[in-house]
Amino acid sequence: MAMPAARPRPLDDMDEGELIARARRGDVAAAAELLSRHDRLVFRTCRRLLPAGEDVEAAAQETLLRALRSLPSYTGAGSFSGWLVAIAANYCRDRLRRRKLVPFQPLEAVHEDDPDPMAVIPAAGPSPERTSMARQAVALLHQELDRLPGRQREVFSLRFFVGLDLEGIATALGVDVGTVKTHLHRAVHRVRAAVEEAMP
Amino acid sequence: MSIQHLTDDELETVLCGEPLPTVREAHLHDCLVCRRRRDAFLEVVEADLADDPDEATLAAIRERALARWQGRPVIHWWRWAAAAAAVVLLALVPVLRALRPAVPAINPEAVMAEVDRALAQDPLASLASEDVVNELMPVAETTGEGSNS
Repeated sequence: MAMPAARPRPLDDMDEGELIARARRGDVAAAAELLSRHDRLVFRTCRRLLPAGEDVEAAAQETLLRALRSLPSYTGAGSFSGWLVAIAANYCRDRLRRRKLVPFQPLEAVHEDDPDPMAVIPAAGPSPERTSMARQAVALLHQELDRLPGRQREVFSLRFFVGLDLEGIATALGVDVGTVKTHLHRAVHRVRAAVEEAMP
Repeated sequence: MSIQHLTDDELETVLCGEPLPTVREAHLHDCLVCRRRRDAFLEVVEADLADDPDEATLAAIRERALARWQGRPVIHWWRWAAAAAAVVLLALVPVLRALRPAVPAINPEAVMAEVDRALAQDPLASLASEDVVNELMPVAETTGEGSNS
């Protein structure tokens, strides 16, 4: 009697290690599933590390492509997401260096190509006054981030927008945890002061 | 509960994800004022995160990256080969120079003597017309005070 053929396991059931192994062998479906688990993280990283006006979609696409091409060099020593963030951070830094962009934008120009950040604050907040203050705080947050030195901006963004812990940030940026703490404290000090001013 | 609220430094320590001394952690846990200060900051950050791209945008980015990945040259082997060839050639330059036979220096006098000998043996040389000789080897006119003409 012929044995029934084993049904292939669905990709979304596979763990990350298996997807990576398959993608390394050129399995496009596995690569697509792998990217789909991390593309939001990559987009968010690029968006926060590049100043307003930069093509974030192109940066995210380039980061994903570089990750796919570099898969054979991924040793699995750190988390895959941390490895991706490191690729994104390196790419964004190179891009800024090549274009010699100054990471400062006036308040009026902050992320003007993006959806209005103020629109993301729910209109039905605790009170119209509080909502208005929160909107202003988001704009001030952008303004302060654009004024931060590059490394402080990177560390702040990876901590609060990407959600990495101190060790994760250190790994992604190739620096020690002490350096991360120093930059993060300075960045938080500046940004918090601005945010509290808007939202006392 | 300690009634002393968190200082700015302590609040920033919390925001950076670092621990506070136990007593101060306890204060933060129980103090509405300090929690509100912390949460106000986090609320703004969270609000900023809400404008992430939609799934369709992410899918388009993903598909383009995958398409480029599939269409990639397997390896840029020819670039490496060209670079290796260039390095080998550069390394060989001094060797090739050393192996090249030395070119003998030309002695003009010896050459002219050889020409004179050849002409002396050429029976037709004496038959060449004076015009041809003058055209090929014009006699310089003498000028100046020493001239007899």
